[in-house]
Amino acid sequence: MKKITLMGCPNVGKSVVFSRLTGVNVISSNYPGTTVDFIKGTTFIGGEKFELIDVPGTYSLEPTSKAEAVAQTMLHEGDIVITVVDATHLERNLYLTLEILETKKPAVIALNMWDETRHLGIDIDVTKLERVLGVPIVPTCAICGTGIKELSSAVGDAQQSKTLKQMSEEERWLKVGEIIRDVQVVHHRHHTIWERFADTTVRPTTGIPLAILVILLMFLFIIEVGNVIIDYLMDPLFYTYYGPWIVGAVNSFVPSGLLHDLLVGTSTIESLDFEQSLGLLTTGFYIPFGIVLPFVITFYFMLSILEDIGYLPRLAVLVDTGLHKLGLHGSAIVPTILGCGCNVPGALATRILETEKQRFIAMTLMAISIPCMAQSAMIFAILGRYGMKWILIVYSTLLVLYILLGLLLKRIVKGESPELLLEVPPYRKPDPRTLLKKTWSKAYGFLAEAVPFVIVGIFIVNLLSVSGMIDILARIFSPILTTVLGLPEGAIAALLLGILRKDIAIGMLLPLGMTPQQLTISCIILTTYFPCIATFVVLFRELGSLALLKAAGLMAVVSLSVGIIMRVILIGI
Amino acid sequence: MVEKRVGDTNTDRGPVPLTMLLPGERAKIVALGAGSGRQRHFRTMGLKEGKIVVIIATQPARGPLVIDVEGTLIAIGRGMARQILIQKI
Ligand SMILES: Nc1nc2c(ncn2[C@@H]2O[C@H](COP(=O)(O)OP(=O)(O)OP(=O)(O)O)[C@@H](O)[C@H]2O)c(=O)[nH]1
Ligand SMILES: [Mg+2]
Repeated sequence: MKKITLMGCPNVGKSVVFSRLTGVNVISSNYPGTTVDFIKGTTFIGGEKFELIDVPGTYSLEPTSKAEAVAQTMLHEGDIVITVVDATHLERNLYLTLEILETKKPAVIALNMWDETRHLGIDIDVTKLERVLGVPIVPTCAICGTGIKELSSAVGDAQQSKTLKQMSEEERWLKVGEIIRDVQVVHHRHHTIWERFADTTVRPTTGIPLAILVILLMFLFIIEVGNVIIDYLMDPLFYTYYGPWIVGAVNSFVPSGLLHDLLVGTSTIESLDFEQSLGLLTTGFYIPFGIVLPFVITFYFMLSILEDIGYLPRLAVLVDTGLHKLGLHGSAIVPTILGCGCNVPGALATRILETEKQRFIAMTLMAISIPCMAQSAMIFAILGRYGMKWILIVYSTLLVLYILLGLLLKRIVKGESPELLLEVPPYRKPDPRTLLKKTWSKAYGFLAEAVPFVIVGIFIVNLLSVSGMIDILARIFSPILTTVLGLPEGAIAALLLGILRKDIAIGMLLPLGMTPQQLTISCIILTTYFPCIATFVVLFRELGSLALLKAAGLMAVVSLSVGIIMRVILIGI
Repeated sequence: MVEKRVGDTNTDRGPVPLTMLLPGERAKIVALGAGSGRQRHFRTMGLKEGKIVVIIATQPARGPLVIDVEGTLIAIGRGMARQILIQKI
């Protein structure tokens, strides 16, 4: 099977083209650096099957970040290249295009964002450009689908450029200038009122209050809407329909005994208890579907809106000064926000940062003080019962921790923290269908990951408690848990499961009958002491064993210290 | 070297660093003072000799500048901005 790679500058629409050609929806967003790893799919062109590879965007074949390095290696993987060019920024895109064509790979060019050229007053002579570059060129609008069929059939005509020879960097720039003079006319136009308004979102006096408002509203929206979905949809479903049915069904097959307890736990038809019964089919389903999913959906819906509008790069600009104090720069806000959904894509997204120092700091801070949405959902649901105050205590503690640790890491980690250099794309109107698809694909990704882990987790808990292991462990760790942290010794089960997954771990706190103070301390410790196993694996891959060891050491120290401090503040000595 | 902050007025007509430009002012890029790798990165993002730039916003406490380069917005740290030499127009 022949391989086709999709190359191009960041944010030109490669991933949308990929989704169009393969029918597989990959994530696309309106900021540079959405794709940080290659993604493979298949497509049929003229009856022949091809492997299509979506690649991170890069400005040139000399990489400046890990994501761009991936692009460079992937170019050599492919037999054919589809170079995606942003028609509204032809000049900038031509440099990379020339570099790619000079490698003599058979190529086709997709002149994407064609729909936007007209209102920007840009005229491109495609035939002339085709003649100069010596490869087929197809104007496309990936989001509306125009030109995609033509692009697909043009792949059959992909050819090496015969008109271009190997050039030095200087010659290449001269060539770019020459081509632009030859094929492009830009009609002068005035800035629209909308563009002038858009500029206010990056000015500190107007932009910073707006950013605070956006983040606050997003936080409240997720909590409120998530709770509404739980109260009016999930709980009725679980308590009126699913619960009686599943408990009844299990009772009629296995009325009692070990298997019965494993499946439905302590739940009976008369007293359904989805939160604490610890059955595979009761708690095991209720935690991911009944509690976490509603918050995950609202979170990703809101995030997708921000991503597709193009707000994240603006946020990056506004927080840049602050993040520099933590050894990072503005772009680190993207992995951080993605980490609030799930730390795994969050850690991968740090590939857009330029240096190892930045990546180590960004990943360590995330692993310690950014709870994923599954964990947040449980915190909202469980602590929310005692009032918003407790939720705010958890999050402000984590925020303070993020800042303090960042200040410290900036000083002790060796390496460089370069400045921000970021393209800020124009605001775009999000397409409702794309938004829903994206929300769904992220929610589905969550379920596919969470359900098996939660089931395994509950299975382990049952195993530990039936075998009596849990009591032994509880006694061993009792000095730390009860004496030092002021928690019941049963909390050890939660800490053990937290290594596997955080949502179920917090669920394990419920049967312990804790005070809100103890719950708050436990939630903070569960966030900070160790990442879940999936994140741990990714951190290992991205950081290597030595750096991860350092990070893990820091986690242990930080978690214990914060636990003690919070105990003193909330409970007293 | 004494660093001048954005906002310092400048009457000199010779090339000055981009950081000398006030929000709203237009200028032409005349030279790039960075090393060759950085220069390439600048140019591939559209920061090239001959291009017209306008400052859209400056962030406080020595934060980055947001500039408009012929229709593209770019956020750039001040140290890097100092490597871009411009002539006011
Ligand atoms: N108007 C318009 N917008 C487009 C078109 N193609 C893509 N977009 C939008 O451009 C943005 C970037 O698209 P992506 O597919 O994520 O770009 P990418 O090249 O994969 O970006 P990276 O992965 O960051 O390198 C998204 O907001 C898309 O909706 C197009 O033809 N016209
Ligand atoms: Mg992409």
